[in-house]
Amino acid sequence: MKFNSFTYLVSEGFKNVFKNKKASMASLVTMICAMIMFGIFFVLGENANYVVEQVSSTQGIEVFIVNDATDEQISQLESEIWALGDKIATVTFVSKQEALESMKESLGSDSDLLDVYEGDNNIFPASFVVTLSDLSYSSEVEQEIWQMDYVKNIQSSDQTIDTLIRIANGVKIAIGVIFVFLIIIAIAIISNTIKLSVHARRKEISIMKYVGATNGFIRGPFIIEGIIIGVVSSVITLLILGTGYDLLIDKIGNSSVLQTMGIQLLQFSDMLQTITIVFLALGIGIGVIGSSISMKKYLEV
Amino acid sequence: MIEFKNVSKIYVTGTEAVHNATFTIEKGEFAFLVGPSGSGKSTIIKLILKEEEASRGNIIINGKDITYLRQKRVPYLRRSMGVVFQDFRLLPDRTVYDNVAFAMHIVRATPKHIRRQVPMVLSLVGLSNKAKMYPNELSGGEQQRVALARALVNNPSMIIADEPTGNLDPETAWDIMNLLNEINARGTTVVMATHAKDIVNKMKKRVIQIEKGVIVRDDKRGGYSSEV
Repeated sequence: MKFNSFTYLVSEGFKNVFKNKKASMASLVTMICAMIMFGIFFVLGENANYVVEQVSSTQGIEVFIVNDATDEQISQLESEIWALGDKIATVTFVSKQEALESMKESLGSDSDLLDVYEGDNNIFPASFVVTLSDLSYSSEVEQEIWQMDYVKNIQSSDQTIDTLIRIANGVKIAIGVIFVFLIIIAIAIISNTIKLSVHARRKEISIMKYVGATNGFIRGPFIIEGIIIGVVSSVITLLILGTGYDLLIDKIGNSSVLQTMGIQLLQFSDMLQTITIVFLALGIGIGVIGSSISMKKYLEV
Repeated sequence: MIEFKNVSKIYVTGTEAVHNATFTIEKGEFAFLVGPSGSGKSTIIKLILKEEEASRGNIIINGKDITYLRQKRVPYLRRSMGVVFQDFRLLPDRTVYDNVAFAMHIVRATPKHIRRQVPMVLSLVGLSNKAKMYPNELSGGEQQRVALARALVNNPSMIIADEPTGNLDPETAWDIMNLLNEINARGTTVVMATHAKDIVNKMKKRVIQIEKGVIVRDDKRGGYSSEV
């Protein structure tokens, strides 16, 4: 297509939007509402994933080592754990002494009760704290470590992990469902707006047909109208969502509950790229599909 | 140029609007299609524009059989003809200039070509001084001249006019006829459906007369009806 006819189509598309102010506004507002709904769930989902990630990095599997293991045997065990590959994020050795000290620390002022266990009397076993790259591997990794030598016992917070994974998966499904609904709603809204616009210009369209305009040429401005509505509503939604989210994060993100749990929430800027791409693709795609649907009837002259 | 071979058109309602029509309009000819309302004149125009499909027979335009022309090619067929209607069909929200330029945008003409061609056609129809006016500021005759300018602007090889003088008083009607005659004299084929008796009689051009879908008369230099 030649450049000048492209600029012609774009300027006609803009004219359509403004000629059809009320319908354009109505669809813009509805689109924004639908997109905000989606945006909220998207943001929740991203944060849920982020929290799961953080928790998985702290929720390690504790692998207790038999008391009579030599240093060599311990380092052999460590390399065996590392050999499990990508699933393993970190492996930290906790010596008997460190185990005792951390126990003392948790007892606080009563820590002198444990003084009797100092030195050779130390009954606390040495251990490896293994963290995983993805929490969903935990039961698998646990089983594999069980097979290894010198392992006395394994302790992991299975239930916490399972719950977290379930929440994250639930949110993912919810996002998926809402995404599909959003697409259906948005196509319906935009195709309806374009239908009004096409109806308002039906005389023009019939003249265009007589003068020999191709269907593609007639469709062009309406597709652009759809894209404009899609893109403008995406941008406005991003602004609303971004401002709202940052305000909320200021209040919630620094709350004492989350801080004591050592959990951070995402900043909006961390998600901006993904969400922008999703919204723009959605706006453009729906603009094209919605207007194509509504044009069908009018092109048969 | 335009050739009908045993063409019939039966609408889905069952009425046969055109029955077994055969005629040829040569390049550069001026032909009237006459007959009372509902005789099938408009259907013939629609068949030429491929707005309607023939039920039987073949239609050949500019050497091409358009009977089985793919829907996608129809716009290119229409670019070879300029169409004028009884009700002008101008865009009320655009100036005279833009109404004419519009037809050029559609065929993706360059802006340079548009700037040169539009004023030329407007001067041909005598509306150079009204280029910036809107259709509702013009008289009926002037509006029809704008429509004619729009039909001519892409240099079609033929003008198809469906009752172009139907909404005009006799005097303005003659203005349009003189213009059509002039356009024809420059080599453009003109096909005009009408029931304006006096115009047909005075022009002394070819007359194809249709009654109830049947071509009953085809005179090279005829009047509106054979009795005249």
